[in-house]
Amino acid sequence: MARKRKSPYKTRQALTPYLLLSPAFLVLLFVVALPLLFSLYTSFTGYRLVRPESLWSWVGTRNYERIFADVDFWIAFGRTILFLAIALNLEFIFGLGIALLINRITWGQRTLRTIMMFPMMFSPILVGYQFKFIFNDNIGVLNNALQSLGISDAATPWLVDRHLAMFSIIFAEVWMSTSVFAILLLAGLFAMPRDPIEAAKVDGCSPLQVFRHITLPFLMPFAFIAMTIRSLDVARAYDIVDVMTGGGPAGRTELLWTLIARVGYDNSRMGQANAMAYVSIVLSIAFTYYFFTKLVAARRYMGGAA
Amino acid sequence: MRSPKLKSLTCAALLPLLLSGTSALAGEFDGYTLRVKLIGGAQYEPLYAEIPKWEEMTGAKVEVLSRKNHFELDREIKQDIAAGTLDWCVGSNHTSFAPQYGNIYIDLNGVVADDVLAEFDTLAIKNSTVNERLVQLPRHSDVSNLFYKKSLYEDQANKDAFKAKYGYDLTPPETFDQFKDQAMFFANAPTFYGTQYVGKDEAITGRFYEMLVANGGALFDENWNPTFNSEAGVKTVMWFKELYDSKAVPAGVLNYLWDDTGLGFASGTVALNLDWAGWAAFFNDPANSKVAGDVGLVRAPKGTGGKRSGWAGSHTFSITETCDNKEAAASFITFLTDHDRQMIEARKGLLPTRTQVWKDVKAEFEAAGNAFQAEVVDTYSKSMAEDAFTPPLIEPWIEVSNEIWPQLQAAILGEKTPQEALDQAADAARLIMEDAGYIQ
Repeated sequence: MARKRKSPYKTRQALTPYLLLSPAFLVLLFVVALPLLFSLYTSFTGYRLVRPESLWSWVGTRNYERIFADVDFWIAFGRTILFLAIALNLEFIFGLGIALLINRITWGQRTLRTIMMFPMMFSPILVGYQFKFIFNDNIGVLNNALQSLGISDAATPWLVDRHLAMFSIIFAEVWMSTSVFAILLLAGLFAMPRDPIEAAKVDGCSPLQVFRHITLPFLMPFAFIAMTIRSLDVARAYDIVDVMTGGGPAGRTELLWTLIARVGYDNSRMGQANAMAYVSIVLSIAFTYYFFTKLVAARRYMGGAA
Repeated sequence: MRSPKLKSLTCAALLPLLLSGTSALAGEFDGYTLRVKLIGGAQYEPLYAEIPKWEEMTGAKVEVLSRKNHFELDREIKQDIAAGTLDWCVGSNHTSFAPQYGNIYIDLNGVVADDVLAEFDTLAIKNSTVNERLVQLPRHSDVSNLFYKKSLYEDQANKDAFKAKYGYDLTPPETFDQFKDQAMFFANAPTFYGTQYVGKDEAITGRFYEMLVANGGALFDENWNPTFNSEAGVKTVMWFKELYDSKAVPAGVLNYLWDDTGLGFASGTVALNLDWAGWAAFFNDPANSKVAGDVGLVRAPKGTGGKRSGWAGSHTFSITETCDNKEAAASFITFLTDHDRQMIEARKGLLPTRTQVWKDVKAEFEAAGNAFQAEVVDTYSKSMAEDAFTPPLIEPWIEVSNEIWPQLQAAILGEKTPQEALDQAADAARLIMEDAGYIQ
C-alpha cells in the first residue's frame, strides 16, 4: 500500500518554525560558534600572529602540555581566583552598604544614584592611570598626603610591594565597579514588598533580625546576578592591571589576561595564548555555575519562605 | 646656502623620477590617497604638521589610519598581518621591532635613490637593515647619555664629603661604578634620590643589555646560545640591585618607564638621570622643570669592559609589500626624512639620522646662543657615532626580552639571586631561540 504523501502545505507548515528560527541560529553560528571553534582550533597549532602560514602547523596538544607544565601560568591562575574572590566580596559588601544607605534617603536620591554611577562611566584605562598616579611612590597623591599629615615619612611602594600592589589594583577595581552591585541591590530593595518587614516589626524583631532574615535573603538573588556578571568581568581583568603594574614587578600582579595578552600579542604566540584562554574559560564557567546554583537556591528559599 | 624648498622638492621628486623615468612634477600623484599608520605622541606630532606640504606638492592625499604609541601600533600591525588586511602603504617602524615583521615591508635599496641614502648616517642605515634588506628609512635615533644636577657637583661640602668617603674627586661619573657610588652618596630617600632607572618591559632589558655589553658580556654567543647569565651579567644585575637596596632609587622604580624617569629628574628630586636627548630642552625649560639652568650632561658611563653603554635604535618608516603605489609611498617617506623635516625634529632635541642635520642644528643652536642645546647635540652625536649599538636584530628579540625583564625584577627585589634569575631567563631564551630556528 502506497504511503500517503504530506501535502506541500503541511510540509511548509512543519518547516516554518525552523525557517523563522534560522536567522537567530545563523547569527549564533557566525558570531559565536565559528570564532570559538576557530580559536579552539588555533590552540592546537603553532599559530604566530606575524606568520599567517603557521595557522596550518598542527602541533596537537603541545600548547596545552606546555601550559600544564608552566608554573607561572598556574600562579597567575591562582592569583586570578584570589583577585576575583576578594574583589567580588568587597564589591558586594560596599554595594550593599551603599544601596541600603541610598534606600533610606528621601531627598536627592536620584541625584545620588547618578553620582554613584560615575566610576562606571570611566574607561578602565583612565581608571588605571588615575590610580597609578595616586599610588605612585614618589610623586603620588597618597604618599604625599601621608607624609604631609605626618602619618608616614616613608615612600611606600604601593605598586611594587607584593601585598600592596595587589591591594592597589583591587582598590581600583572595587572603586570602579562597586556601583554595579549597588544599583542591582538598590533595584532589589525597591522591589521588596513591605508586608513581611512590617509583620516582623509587629512581631518584635530587631532591625538587625529584619535585615538578617528578611531583607538579605530577598536581596541575595539580585546579589548573585551581580556576582555572575562581575565574575565574568573580573576574570577577564586586563586594562587596569596593565596600566597600573603591567602584571609586575616580577609577576607579582600577573593575572591570567595580562599573561595571555603578552603571550598572544607581544610574543605573537597566538596558538599558545588561545590554549591559555581556553583553560581560563574553565574558571569563568566554574564561577558562573557556582553563582547560578546559589541563585537558584536563593530563589527556592524565597519561594519557600513566601 | 641651499634653498629648503628646492631640497624638499628634489627629495620628494627623486624616486618617481628614477622609477618611472618620467619627470616628477607637482601633481605627480594627483587624486591618489596614501593610507598610512603612524606612531603618535607629543614628540612625533610636529613632523606630521608637514604632511599637507607633501600633499600640496604631489597632489596626493594622506589618510592617517592610526596614530598610536608604538606598542599599540605593533599589536595593530600584527593583527593586520594575521587578518591579511595590510591594505595600507606606509607604517611607522622601529629598529627593535622591524625584524619580527618578516617580509611585509619592501627593501628600500633601489627604491630610495642611492645618493639620498648616502646622506644618512652609515650606522643608522646599517641598523635599519634586516637580512640585508633595508626595510625602513630612519627618521630619528635614540641613545642615552647622563644628565646630572650641576649644583650638586659644585657644592664644596659635597666634594669634601664625597672625597672623604670614596677616596676620589666628585666629578660627573666616567664609569658605572662611579655612577653607583655617586647615586648612593646623593640619595636621601624619600625626598631625594641618587638616580632612577626604567624598571619594566623592554626598557629595563635594554638598559641591562647595554650595561652587559659595557661590562664585557654579551646576550648571545656566535651560535645564538644565551650567554647573559655570565659573570658580567650578574655584575650588571647587582648594579641595579645595590641601588635599589640602598634606596638610592625610588621604591617604585620597577614600575617606571621613560615618562616617569624624565619627569622625576625634572621635578628636581633626582641627582643623575641616564636618558635620551628628547628630554634635554624640557629639563632646561623653567616652565616645566625645577632643574632648569642647573643641568649638566656627560657621555654615558663605561662598564668594567672599558666600553660605554650605547643601546640605540631608530624610529623609522617602512613601505608595505602590498602597497598599491610604492612610488608615492617612497616619495612620502623620503619627504618626511629629508633635511628640512629632520631639522624640525632636531630643534626639539630628537637625534637626526642625516649627517648634515647634526652640523646644521648645532650651528643653529650656537647662533641662537643656546649653548646647552649645542652641547646636547655634540654629546649625542659623539655617542651615536662611537658608542651606539642595537639589540640583536632578530625576530624573537621582543619575546626574549619578555623573558629577561621579569627575572631582572625578581633579582632586584631579592626573590631570586641574580645568578638564579639570569639562569632561568637564559633557559627560557634558549627555548625561544630553538623554536625560532636559531639554535638547531
